[in-house]
Amino acid sequence: MHVHPVEAAKKAVLRPLAASTYLRRNAGKTVPLTAVIMLAVLLISGIVSLINSIPYSIRTIYQYTQQTLAITPRGDAEQTPKLVADVKANAPVPIERIMLARAAGTQVVSIVGKWPFAVLALKQPDMQFWLDRQGVKSLDGRLPKAGEPEALISEPVARNLNLKLGSNLLSPNDNESFSPFPVKVVGIAKTPMWLMLTNYEYVKANHFPDVDVMLAFAHTLKDQDTLDRWASKHFKGERAQIFAYHQLEQQTDDMFNILYKILNVVIATLVFVITLMMGMLINIYLSQRLVEFGLLQALGYTKRQLLYRVLKETVSVVLIGWIFGVLLAYGLLRVTKAWLMDPRAFALDPLDPTAFLYTIPIPVAILAVASLTLIGRFQRFDPVGIVERRLV
Amino acid sequence: MIEAKQASLEYLDHGKVVYACRDVDLQVRDGEFLGILGPSGSGKSSLLYLLSGLKVPTSGEIIVDGKNLASMSDEDRSRIRLQRFGFVFQQPFLLGYLTALENVLLASPKDASRSNALELLAKLGVAEKSHRLPHELSGGERQRVCVARALLGNPTAVFADEPTAALDHRNGLQVVNLLSENRGTGSLVMVTHDPSMLERADRIVHLDDGRLAE
Repeated sequence: MHVHPVEAAKKAVLRPLAASTYLRRNAGKTVPLTAVIMLAVLLISGIVSLINSIPYSIRTIYQYTQQTLAITPRGDAEQTPKLVADVKANAPVPIERIMLARAAGTQVVSIVGKWPFAVLALKQPDMQFWLDRQGVKSLDGRLPKAGEPEALISEPVARNLNLKLGSNLLSPNDNESFSPFPVKVVGIAKTPMWLMLTNYEYVKANHFPDVDVMLAFAHTLKDQDTLDRWASKHFKGERAQIFAYHQLEQQTDDMFNILYKILNVVIATLVFVITLMMGMLINIYLSQRLVEFGLLQALGYTKRQLLYRVLKETVSVVLIGWIFGVLLAYGLLRVTKAWLMDPRAFALDPLDPTAFLYTIPIPVAILAVASLTLIGRFQRFDPVGIVERRLV
Repeated sequence: MIEAKQASLEYLDHGKVVYACRDVDLQVRDGEFLGILGPSGSGKSSLLYLLSGLKVPTSGEIIVDGKNLASMSDEDRSRIRLQRFGFVFQQPFLLGYLTALENVLLASPKDASRSNALELLAKLGVAEKSHRLPHELSGGERQRVCVARALLGNPTAVFADEPTAALDHRNGLQVVNLLSENRGTGSLVMVTHDPSMLERADRIVHLDDGRLAE
């Protein structure tokens, strides 16, 4: 069908001064700028997410310790009953249960190497209570029997160590996960918590040292934290070593403090370099548009209008780049989590808010530099020089 | 009416004061085609920029409808240029990423102006090219688009600074005729060094060394 050219023009016409018109018709310039911002956001959020995955992994793997206070008598078996009596008599919150436990050592695999993990050894009456406190609703298989070389693990541990029912969790041939007899997995708990459980009697008979550990449980998590913090102060300087979740958090924060300082320097440098590069690119693009600005100003557009228009274009590019960068980063982190991390039970949060907060300086810095560049150039601008072709 | 009263424009050139225009008294009457003729460097363009508010006189006044352009803010002068004046420059300045029609609409970027812009492009013989980008147009076609842009919105005055400079004589004359025929009731002030371009002018003034010649 024949279309009259004027009719065709009517359909094709865009608002000439809209920011979207410039961005659409100059995709060769705006797409690379957007892509640079996207890649910068991807890079920074990726680095931060992966670094954060380490403390996140520590907290995830050892989260089971949040449910209990563990106190060892530093090798003196006779101290344990005294510790139990002390806690019962002086604890600042009601105690729901105190139990004696043992532990065997093994390791789990993390993104930065192997980490130690305790195979907790409990007496039969305490096992179900402990599993209930960890939120375990069901399990494949069964609980370890008293005195038998048997263990129960949770799903993340099974994935991490590639274990199934019937696999050996501990073995005489394994220096890192040693036990005099092969300790077979007889149960797998369905829970996201990392758990390893065996029976008290087997560990007491076969593992060193012959010392009981005290586990104390408060009624609520809030009380548990109060109890843990009290124990840390109460037993300071005593023959007692405290294992509590708040200590783990504190140690993790301390351990990563210097790493985060280095990370801040790296990201500040990245933001600086990217902003400098973007500022230079924006400046080059502005120089290429001097005729446009001169013409528009000569026609009667004010500097303020032109500045507002160019800032709108810049804000659009920066925001689109940032938003797509965040989406791209989220997508790739999801893929990384699904393909690389989850199969090994490594922890990674694709929606880590810190990672995305770290990217905010990019659009802010670029906008600040672009605005200052624009304002500076417009202040010195002479449209007559442009239309007389003295300045081009 | 636009009136220059003892308008001068001076600037410093290596520490020496140079007059682009000196004590110019001139009236641009409503609806007239005023030609400003003079050799290169005589200050023709500077006078045009003074009359149109693109430049501010260093002394004297430029009066537009009773108001002195020199005492207005830059924003107010810009508003007058956009709403009441049209411009055609030596070079056919068009924005390369806008079509011919969109370039015309720069003078009045309202949806309601679209039919007027198309009508003007049709009158100037470039309606079929209205959807083309500037690099797809010839030099003459580009300048016609610039003329359409200058005429959109029925300005009270159109200022043309050597609009034929980049065109051959035939195309140049066509552009001048188009400006003259389509300006409606508005004035046309045209600067040129070529007297043959001012055959249709109602009045011609000569400028020499920044002063109006007798």
